[in-house]
Amino acid sequence: MTDVTVQDDRELLARAQAGDMSAFEALVARHEDKVYGLALRMTRSEADAAEITQDTFLSAYQHLAEFRGEAAFGSWVHRIAANNALMRLRRQKVLDIVSDDLAGPEFTDRGSLAEPPESDWSRRADDQLLDEELGRAIQVATDALPKGYREVFLLKDVEGLSYEEISEMVGISVPAVKSRLHRARLALREAIDAFYKEV
Amino acid sequence: MFNCKDSIDSLLPFLEGEMSPEEEEHLRVHLNGCPPCVEFVRTYRATSGLCRKALVKSMPPEVAGRLRAFLRAKLETK
Repeated sequence: MTDVTVQDDRELLARAQAGDMSAFEALVARHEDKVYGLALRMTRSEADAAEITQDTFLSAYQHLAEFRGEAAFGSWVHRIAANNALMRLRRQKVLDIVSDDLAGPEFTDRGSLAEPPESDWSRRADDQLLDEELGRAIQVATDALPKGYREVFLLKDVEGLSYEEISEMVGISVPAVKSRLHRARLALREAIDAFYKEV
Repeated sequence: MFNCKDSIDSLLPFLEGEMSPEEEEHLRVHLNGCPPCVEFVRTYRATSGLCRKALVKSMPPEVAGRLRAFLRAKLETK
């Protein structure tokens, strides 16, 4: 988020805290895509994502007076949304798959890579537009991650939360968060590599 | 002396600058002599950015409309 956006948010926030509804609506309009996107990625349900977005902004409004502005407004609502999404997933008691099902690189008995990477596709990450087929392959691979790994990967690498925030939200230690993140990244890297093998 | 598995297992602390100088030296020695691992590191680093792009979602206009109506109804009763 740019400094200008944060500055604008602060002005809107001050007006909203003084009771200006239109300022609060402007804040919602600025952040609704991000909040909805987080909720949809986490729950994979449009209905749940819409409800989580509503609950998040309602909760933000109800606690506006307590928000002192140490963090950016966007980060604050992002954390509320992440907590709401995690609580909903906990209620749904989605069965987690054991991590042994996660894909990753294979090694020889001597610990060498059994199969070198298909090609160095790292520069594709700099392209403005993402290949549509690759986008679908990534979506499928992310959906296939065991829940505990998907949550951590999304919260860290997509939503940009800190290890400490994720540890607190998910209820596991920081080293466990890092371990899950690494395994998830390896599985997704494998899926992208497989995509480039096929094209 | 690190092999490919040791190197890949230590990628996250390496990229976050959390490795001990001794371990980092082991890793650098391995990477200097292992082009496949160098490519692996590059593609591992690129994975998050590609995923972020692939997973961007915008709120559909009808959902945004329902959100505004919901908030107005809730906040006007306060």
